[in-house]
Amino acid sequence: MLAHSIFFYFFSIIAIFSSLMVITSRSTVNSVFFLILDFISVGCLFIMVGAEFLGMIILIVYVGAVAVLFLFVVMMLNVAEQKQSWFIGKRSTHIPSGLIVSIIILLELLVVVGGWKYKEDLMSSSTLSISKISNTHQLGSVMYTDYILYFQLAGVILLLAMIGAILLTFRQRSGVKKQSYITQISREPSTSIEMKEVEFNKGVKIDD
Amino acid sequence: MEYAILFLPLIGSIIGYFGKSITKFFSEITTSLFVSISAILSIAVFWNGIEKNNYNNYIIFEWISSGDFIANWSINIDPLSSVMLVVVTFVSALVHIYSIGYMSHDPHKPRFMSYLSLFTFSMLALVVSDNFLQLFFGWEGVGLCSYLLIGFWYKKESANNAAIKAFVVNRIGDFGLAVAIFLIFFYFGSINFNEVFQAAPQFMDKKISIFNYEANLITFICLFLFIGAMGKSAQFLLHTWLPDAMEGPTPVSALIHAATMVTAGVFLVVRCSPLFEYSQAALNVVTIVGMITALFAASVALVQNDIKKIVAYSTCSQLGYMFFAAGVGAYHVAIFHLFTHAFFKALLFLGSGSVIHAFNDEQDIRNMGGVRKRLPYTYILMLIGTLALTGFPFLSGFYSKDAIIEFAYFKNSSLGNYAAFVGIFTAFLTAIYSWRLFFKTFHGPYNNKNIPINETHESPLVMLIPLFLLGIGAVFAGIIFKEIFIGHHSKDFWQNSIFFLNEIKHDHIPLWLLLITPILVVIAIPLSFYYFISNTKILEEFKNTNLPLYNFLLNKWYIDELYELIFVRPIKKIGYFFWKTGDQGIIDKFGPDGISKIIKMISNKAGQFQTGYIYDYAFVMLIGLSILLTYLILH
Amino acid sequence: MIEIGLGHYLSLGAIIFFLGIIGIFLNRKNVIVILMSIELILLAVNINLISFSIFSGDLVGQIFTMLILTVAAAEAAIGLAIIVIYYRNKGSIRVEDIHGMKG
Repeated sequence: MLAHSIFFYFFSIIAIFSSLMVITSRSTVNSVFFLILDFISVGCLFIMVGAEFLGMIILIVYVGAVAVLFLFVVMMLNVAEQKQSWFIGKRSTHIPSGLIVSIIILLELLVVVGGWKYKEDLMSSSTLSISKISNTHQLGSVMYTDYILYFQLAGVILLLAMIGAILLTFRQRSGVKKQSYITQISREPSTSIEMKEVEFNKGVKIDD
Repeated sequence: MEYAILFLPLIGSIIGYFGKSITKFFSEITTSLFVSISAILSIAVFWNGIEKNNYNNYIIFEWISSGDFIANWSINIDPLSSVMLVVVTFVSALVHIYSIGYMSHDPHKPRFMSYLSLFTFSMLALVVSDNFLQLFFGWEGVGLCSYLLIGFWYKKESANNAAIKAFVVNRIGDFGLAVAIFLIFFYFGSINFNEVFQAAPQFMDKKISIFNYEANLITFICLFLFIGAMGKSAQFLLHTWLPDAMEGPTPVSALIHAATMVTAGVFLVVRCSPLFEYSQAALNVVTIVGMITALFAASVALVQNDIKKIVAYSTCSQLGYMFFAAGVGAYHVAIFHLFTHAFFKALLFLGSGSVIHAFNDEQDIRNMGGVRKRLPYTYILMLIGTLALTGFPFLSGFYSKDAIIEFAYFKNSSLGNYAAFVGIFTAFLTAIYSWRLFFKTFHGPYNNKNIPINETHESPLVMLIPLFLLGIGAVFAGIIFKEIFIGHHSKDFWQNSIFFLNEIKHDHIPLWLLLITPILVVIAIPLSFYYFISNTKILEEFKNTNLPLYNFLLNKWYIDELYELIFVRPIKKIGYFFWKTGDQGIIDKFGPDGISKIIKMISNKAGQFQTGYIYDYAFVMLIGLSILLTYLILH
Repeated sequence: MIEIGLGHYLSLGAIIFFLGIIGIFLNRKNVIVILMSIELILLAVNINLISFSIFSGDLVGQIFTMLILTVAAAEAAIGLAIIVIYYRNKGSIRVEDIHGMKG
């Protein structure tokens, strides 16, 4: 169990450290990098615990998509040059009271955690995983049977997100030529072809 | 017919107020016409009363009927009220006609005539009432009209102040009257005159205690009634409003402050004679106050320089006479003196109005003089008035004033003798200042610096006719009515309206008493002529050597200043305190101003929550969440 | 401390959650940090769910984690799109400049 605890402490300290740096680092790009580190360490934690499918998914989806999206926006909006620190500024008198309130919440959460006793006979559902099937297999067998509707719903949410993002940021640029296939397909020969009598050796004048 | 007497002036007042829009002279003619008809009708009623003994109480309608408290609107015609009706309507009609001429230059004539008629109505309501409540209504009504009329020229600040002063001082009297009515209702259970007066003998010895001071009930009631009378009739201590009331136009002074309103006090005391007769203490108080007033007013009138103020103090003094006549128990003499006094005092006021008109609104007698050839009619009529006022033999004032002195003597008490002596002395003073007024106005050198003597003109006919009629009254009213009012069989005339507990015998008048007053009065004529016209130097020296006395008299015994010091300033301070600290500081602060300020403050603070910054909103959400969590954990 | 139990994982989740929350309102820089803090909060929730799932042997936790993952990704996309649009219109995404809702 020693290795378990060493690995746990290692990953969790990295996670905590990097999340602290997310919110306090001076440049926004650094914040994004620390966010990526956070995700990676938590993903490793998940693999260590035994939910390897989720760990991999976190790596793929969070790091590969969400964090890259953040980075895209940060780069595009030119915020990398902002270098303001926390404690200088008009409203820094605000911070101590905020810290106090947050520490209160943290302590309350820990109180809840400490007071809660893990019960062995907590759940008796049909989704216990005791077998030697891999985690992915287990997840698949549960998700596509009992929770298929939520799976579809997740798909719809993703579709909506995509439509929403495109709809929000789409703008018409003027002066861009575009094809309209409808007009292309519905052209009649009578409007597009003109038969001309060409005289010998004279040629045709084409006006455009 | 009686209804017409009471209500014609009211109708005239209402119509007259809107008269300006109809035709030019509409309001004056209507109001004067209505009041004149009222006067003729009241003379008819009076005659009816004497001839056919036709006295009645006509109830118009029942005003209040709540348990034991029953008050009617009624027209109570009995000897006392019929005499008062004649006085009031007759003088009022003449004043209306006079005002047509006197106020001809004034742009607000309809309002003036309307107020005069309204005043007449209130006074009539007072006089014909058969219960204390209607009397009080009339009382307040005449006070109101006095305020309106004194302050008629409302753009003048001194007129406004005088009107307010009159109203406030009257109010003090009204308070006394109100307390008396409350006491009467509380103990007698009714406020109708008949019931109260019939029940009076039973309460003769009843004692009550007010503020741990025990005294006779009837004495208390009569004292408070007399306080009301003091306020209205400008007796000593509550007299301060009368000279200042001369700010109003002269017809107002003639009507209100000579003939009618100021006599309301005397009327009240005489009407309540059944009550007063049972309280010797109250009667003594009445006598003493009446005496002091007569003497005080006469002494002040000696040195005044404004023609109207002299006549005003003369009124005050004569009212003192009436009160001390009532105080010695001779109520019928008081009413007789009221009757004659109305004529000659109104004559004097209107005459001085005529003089003022002639001198283009000059009122100081030091700036007049020597116009007897220019204003012949005014001269003769003022002469008649002055002779009547001083009590020159065989004119009306002689009969009434000397009757007062005789009755005081016949009371045979030390107070009565003392009162008689004061009465004689005051008659002498009255003569002196009246002749001073007369001679300084009409004789002697012409002292006016503004107008040359050729421009002084006699008054128009419309102003002279009322003077003439009043002059006839001043001369003959005494002789004609003496037997009826105060003669040996006067009890037959007055019947129940005046009550005498013990009849005063007045059969044998000692000769010296009969002669002393006329002699003094006649001597006063050449005396005042000599001192005021021929040889004024002696008086100048006298004045200079006795300058403090002169100033004391000139400043009305400094009573105004005394009141200012004792009452006016502290009350002003208290009122100011209540206004600033109480009203504004406390009530407004916790009421409208305070609440609106608090709401503004709260909404300002609340508005600061909406900063627009997202993280502030998130922070607030977090605070809410933490509170919820804390609650759930602790619960 | 050596024996790692459920409590340790839950505490880790709580700490990351707390850091995410203070990141929302204590940053003075720009709005993207807020979105990143939201991602941190969701990550903390995921840790919670996974640890409960493993320790109670129930697979529902992991399935729910997948769904949360989906939602987090979708929401990050939309949020960033909104930020892009806002930047187009207002020209700045500094937190101090965003107070159009003031009052």
